[in-house]
Amino acid sequence: MNKNSVLNMGSYRRIDCIFFSEFHPTLGPKITYQVPEEYISRELFDTVQVYIITKPELQNKLITVTAMEKKLIGCPVCIEHKKYSRNALLFNLGLVCDARTKTCALEPIVKKLSGYLTTLELESGFISNEESKQKLLPILSTLLEELNVTGACTLPIDDSNTIHLKLIEQRKDPLVVQEYDVPVFTKNKDHFTKSQWDLTTQQILPFVDGYRHIQKISAEADVELNLVRIAVQNLLYYEVVTLVSIFQYSNVYCTTPKVQNLIDKKCLQEECIHYVSKLGQRTNLRDVFQLYCGLTPGTTVRDLCSRYSHQLQRVDERKLIQFGLMKGLIRRLQKYPVKVVRDERSRPPRLYTGCHSYDEICCKTGMSYKELDERLENDPNIVVCWK
Amino acid sequence: MLKKTSPISVILVSSGSRGNKLLFRYPFQRVSENTSSATSKQRSPYVLNTSGDSIEDQDGDSRFSDIILATILATKSDMCGKKFELKIDNVRFVGHPTLLQPPHTPQANADASVINCMHNLSRRIAIALQHEERRCQYLTREAKLMLAVQDEVTTMTETDGSPQSPFRQILPKCKLARDLKEVYDSLCTTGVVRLHINNWLEVSFCLPHKIHRVGGKHIPPEALERSLKAIRPYHALLLLDNEKALLAQLPLDCSPALVRLIKTCSAVKNLQQLAQDADLALLQVFQIAAHLVYWGKAIIIYPLCENNVYMLSPHANICMYSPLAEQFALQFPGHDLPSMLAKFSLPVSLSEFRNPLDAPVHEAQLIQMVVWMLQHRLLFQLHTYVCLLVPPIEEEPGLREEEPPLVTRVTGRSLSTPSALSFGSPTSSDDMTLTSPSMDNSSAELQTGGDSPLNKRMTETLLASLTEHERQTILRVPAAQNPEDLRLFARLLHYFRGHHHLEEIMYNENMRRSQLKTLFDKFRSVLVITNHEDPIISLFQTPPD
Repeated sequence: MNKNSVLNMGSYRRIDCIFFSEFHPTLGPKITYQVPEEYISRELFDTVQVYIITKPELQNKLITVTAMEKKLIGCPVCIEHKKYSRNALLFNLGLVCDARTKTCALEPIVKKLSGYLTTLELESGFISNEESKQKLLPILSTLLEELNVTGACTLPIDDSNTIHLKLIEQRKDPLVVQEYDVPVFTKNKDHFTKSQWDLTTQQILPFVDGYRHIQKISAEADVELNLVRIAVQNLLYYEVVTLVSIFQYSNVYCTTPKVQNLIDKKCLQEECIHYVSKLGQRTNLRDVFQLYCGLTPGTTVRDLCSRYSHQLQRVDERKLIQFGLMKGLIRRLQKYPVKVVRDERSRPPRLYTGCHSYDEICCKTGMSYKELDERLENDPNIVVCWK
Repeated sequence: MLKKTSPISVILVSSGSRGNKLLFRYPFQRVSENTSSATSKQRSPYVLNTSGDSIEDQDGDSRFSDIILATILATKSDMCGKKFELKIDNVRFVGHPTLLQPPHTPQANADASVINCMHNLSRRIAIALQHEERRCQYLTREAKLMLAVQDEVTTMTETDGSPQSPFRQILPKCKLARDLKEVYDSLCTTGVVRLHINNWLEVSFCLPHKIHRVGGKHIPPEALERSLKAIRPYHALLLLDNEKALLAQLPLDCSPALVRLIKTCSAVKNLQQLAQDADLALLQVFQIAAHLVYWGKAIIIYPLCENNVYMLSPHANICMYSPLAEQFALQFPGHDLPSMLAKFSLPVSLSEFRNPLDAPVHEAQLIQMVVWMLQHRLLFQLHTYVCLLVPPIEEEPGLREEEPPLVTRVTGRSLSTPSALSFGSPTSSDDMTLTSPSMDNSSAELQTGGDSPLNKRMTETLLASLTEHERQTILRVPAAQNPEDLRLFARLLHYFRGHHHLEEIMYNENMRRSQLKTLFDKFRSVLVITNHEDPIISLFQTPPD
């Protein structure tokens, strides 16, 4: 991830205030330090203090409370020892955000901070010592600024302790990667320093060209199939690649409603023309749009090439299909064989159940499309569904 | 994930002069929870709590004792009347503290919209309880009962020594407790809650996330609402249950308009016709339709007619062992679902699907099958969209070879002119002249009569929105020499941005399909045509990204 994405992330999850709250032996629960000053009103603190300095049962839990348009995230800590007045030290270092902010990514930060402070207190009485406690104020300031601007913070506290924090963006779980899926880079490959990636990924990177499917990559890169799947899934997670299907001239595609984006969005038009034009040439919007609209159920890529040969003079059809799939302008129609005659005597079908596409069957059995077609065409008990 | 939309439990807490009290919770805590919590795994404080954990931790709630729940959920009075949200580790509490009593529903890591819906439910229950409290102190009475049982059980435990859950004892004695249990059970299963607080006030609620599931994913309510706002009078309402079953589910005091609508609606009737037949205002029909769709009782489709083209949905489950296949075989003996679905592998119109040589009985059954498949989200309809795209400046259109014929349907045949349907209602949805479009949608009616200066000026104005190059290219098309054709083209120009399908243009402009197709053909050198599903109602067939 480059710095730009981190910057964008920071502003999306802006921390409005960082506070340090504790149970004062005479004054009770109070906010000792907060940056910026006076951010949390008396009223707000009164409403939520029961969730900040808590009963024992809630200690060491991540507590997020929403009140008065604000969200407060904290982790109350209790350290018991005879040396403390009331035999226990209670404190909580928390963050305040706008109530609408999604704060899941901030939770590990809060947990980590509570851990750091606990360690500091146990090792050197950092908090209970009035002098060293004052260092908290500049620490809170630095934390607030760095977390908001860069999403990360490295802060030495004393000779033996340094705080390392990083906001990790939460992402969706990636799809399962199948052997017949084709990974294609969504960003330019050269933008990445190879050494950033693990060894397996480095080994397969040269073979990720947007045309080779997982099984082929595994064979040619000489890496075990499951390792390739995991490596690609990792790349998927970071949105560095996306998955498309195997390209063949016999493939059938059709347009989705998103194809209209090509008309509506100028930047997409530019990107598309740049991506699909043959080397040294430049196609135009009408040709490209006509080509995409020429993809219909029942039309193979081969058919498209013969019908639209003029438009394809300046367009690389493989790139056209790749771009269309990546941006969701078109989708692939896969063939699914289903056995229909339920003969009690025959064995239940293993692959012809309607759950496995031609891509999958050919990949698993090593048959070619043509061979599979020939086999099934002559079988009156099999119907084929396209979807 | 189903679990993420189900609550962990329902809790009722009160805060008053006698302190904070947990009145009721369901499901009950397991009494031996002390031992089980000791064996629960140690969590490193630096491990991120992902949503995955919340599924294993279903009983996470049992980590909270009754006392602590009473403390944390009984909020201060300035938090009342607003949404209450508190997250502790991976358990989230949502409720609506009311100045009388707050019901709360804790939940695992969930979507913001699910939380909003849960809050909505809390609020509705709170309002009903508040009303009944003012009217007859219902809540105070129930609370007294609950506390009394709790005290009883505590004394019994002290004398007997055997721990018992007080809440289990409360259930048979207390109607409110049973209602809360029902809220929990309903939310976890169907997502539809229907209660009568104090046997009097109805509280009904549905969790759209549970009801609207297509292809394993739920349709977010916001997307649903957007789609519902975009419904047009030419759309139709397709009930997902049969009429009798649906009517049986309605409450006794439901509006007669709703009943009339359900009885009158049909897959071949558009909403405008439905309004006329049910003797209701169109706006009312829209509202009732939206209501039925929101509750998962109906979907919006384009009314069934001869020329509708359907295709297999990419999310259709075509597995031979699917429960749908079984249901289909029961409903239509002698037919199997995969074979039927295979017929829709290529887009096929209803008229092609029916074999005119078949007996009429058989024909009707085929239509029923299509309706069944639509109800079960196996098919979607393809519409034709048009886009104006002139060849770029460098190219001379005259020098190019003849443009390939417009691919309007995969079979390449031109569509036959609409004929009256031989089934269902006598009006064909395709014959748009019977339904008068709202005037503000159709563009200005131009005077008839050739090449009058008024018409010419109007045409020029309409074409003025184009670039000079676009205008010139259009005028160079041979068909543009015919002023009628050019006028029609100019009038329809604003539809040629790829966002209005053929049927919409037909409805708005009161035109026949054949007229439009001819026009498109004449101007094919500047137009590009494609077919795909209607993104507005395709929501019901395919989940959004």
